[in-house]
Amino acid sequence: MTTPRTHAEQSTLTRRQLLQACLVGGGLAVSGLSLLQWFSSTRLTAQTFIVQAETYGSDLAMLIRRGLQELGVTSSEIKGKRILLKPNLVEPHLSLSHINTHPLVVRGAVEAFLHFGAASVVVAEGPGHRHDTLLVLEESGLADVLYEDRIPFHDLNTMEGVTRRNLGSYMKLATLTFPRLVQEVDWVVSLAKMKTHHWAGATLSMKNFFGMMPGNYYGWPKNVLHQAGIRQSILDINATLKPHFAIVDGITGMEGDGPIMGTPIQAGVLVMGRNLPAVDATCCRIMGINPQKIEYLRYADQWLGPIHDSLIEQRGESWRAIQTPFALIPEIPAHQGIRLG
Amino acid sequence: MTQEHFFPSLERMKSIQLPNGGFPYHAGEEAQPDATAWAIIALSAYAFDRESCDRGRAYLVSQQANDGRISLSPTHPEASWPTPLAILAWQRSSQSHEAQSRAIDYLIRFTGQHFPNPDPSISGHDTAILGWPWIADTHSWVIPTGLAIIALQQIGLGAHARVVEGENMLINRQLPHGGWNYGNTFVFGKELHPLPESTGVALQALAGTTPKPEVEQSLAYLLHELPRLRTPLSLGWALLGLGAWGLKPPNAKDLAMASLQRQDRYGPYPLPSLALLLCAVEASQGLHSLFKSSPREILSHSAHD
Repeated sequence: MTTPRTHAEQSTLTRRQLLQACLVGGGLAVSGLSLLQWFSSTRLTAQTFIVQAETYGSDLAMLIRRGLQELGVTSSEIKGKRILLKPNLVEPHLSLSHINTHPLVVRGAVEAFLHFGAASVVVAEGPGHRHDTLLVLEESGLADVLYEDRIPFHDLNTMEGVTRRNLGSYMKLATLTFPRLVQEVDWVVSLAKMKTHHWAGATLSMKNFFGMMPGNYYGWPKNVLHQAGIRQSILDINATLKPHFAIVDGITGMEGDGPIMGTPIQAGVLVMGRNLPAVDATCCRIMGINPQKIEYLRYADQWLGPIHDSLIEQRGESWRAIQTPFALIPEIPAHQGIRLG
Repeated sequence: MTQEHFFPSLERMKSIQLPNGGFPYHAGEEAQPDATAWAIIALSAYAFDRESCDRGRAYLVSQQANDGRISLSPTHPEASWPTPLAILAWQRSSQSHEAQSRAIDYLIRFTGQHFPNPDPSISGHDTAILGWPWIADTHSWVIPTGLAIIALQQIGLGAHARVVEGENMLINRQLPHGGWNYGNTFVFGKELHPLPESTGVALQALAGTTPKPEVEQSLAYLLHELPRLRTPLSLGWALLGLGAWGLKPPNAKDLAMASLQRQDRYGPYPLPSLALLLCAVEASQGLHSLFKSSPREILSHSAHD
């Protein structure tokens, strides 16, 4: 697990540092340490877990439990905790299931956290485009799953807000208003969808938290955030919210003109981790996207987490073995030049 | 089915009114101005409890800022989208005349961020036509623009230049295949999907001033969607939007009752959605028909030019 650094602590590898690294590299090598080991020891590192799941009929709860175990999450850590799962339900439409986190992934995550002893698991979302959250639940198919399993749901768009000091500094907003629910839970889990995005390049676990911000305070779409800058908002929301875990549904993802108008693509994978930039960087590599070219990830690097491949320990499958390049659209500026070389 | 079938819902609304006169979304929560306004509109429509409505209106007055806006909370003045709802809630009260007048002045001055479209191939609508935003200093969108137009029409300012421009904005944002999204039409060349709630609001706002052929496809879209709508927000606005064009279906009460019964599954609906649905049941021809028996004189047009 990594602890987000403050801006002052943020370390990016400058030319001076690189020179210093090269200078000491020889000495370290002599003493038995490689340059890579020295480099890694001074940088944020994280683990991510990749597991293949060909269809939503797989035993997703078991796969997610396995991921939690592989990532060092124990029953003693989860026991008694109140868990908030935040799926991605930006603008569901009947028959377009590749837009949203699949209901069976939500069910699997609920079961996994309850299996680990969570005191409660709630699902909450503030859809970014649609005012009628209940219709979103119904059209996404999530309403049936929540009802069958008696899982509580909260509409974050209309929930009373709690104001927190903005712990980032990119948005020029001194405070951020979160739904009061964030005060009533112990863990916040991003239950995102693996999609391309026509403004941000890719939307994964970090971007998913746009839907955490109440529409009553941020509008539909969450235009205050667009006005403040998508990259800036993603960074500041994540820095302030400090989410605990991410699970990205890449079983069926979206390629092309995401996050709404793209086409389905079977990547057949779930990606998990405690550190969200690392999870998103791993997802990008699976999608055939260079995470260094995704602006919000580049800015998050070594502040909120690592995105460099050498600093992310991959558990489960190798991203190289299961890479499924997502189609990009050359006319979309955010898609230009982001393909992994 | 008679009006009495909906009395338990009205009773539920009334039962969660707070001592300060405001109404919350759900029992046990704090009062919210939008919930309060919707409760007043619905309770008044059914002539259910005048005293409760008066207390609600007084609460809204207590929440009004010096410049006339009604915001979600005093700590979030930028979220002034409840202002048109308060104007509607005050419509039947001579005691709220001054507060309503100040809110009208605010609404007419207030607009979103507008600018020439920098690249129509990216975003398809005309970004320069003035409408109303959800939140100050952001772009204008369909639902807040529709609500502002409806409120200004209701108090007799349907011919005001801001209303006319707002109607033009809605027409510009209409999707070519019918209906309205939250407010975009094309993004990177792709037409977006229509939404029933936005379409209902826009059709209500455009009724009476827009030639029917201009919205024919949107009416067709909403009529097509109606049978599957069971949630109070979308069903409510669909009934109002269609009703405003004389297309309220004869089984509207049955649809509404079926929606209310789904609270067995989902729990109590948030008050604004519940009140909206009750308004839609009672309104014979759209939202304005609820105010036809208003004892108040319509405010003079010239006062707000």
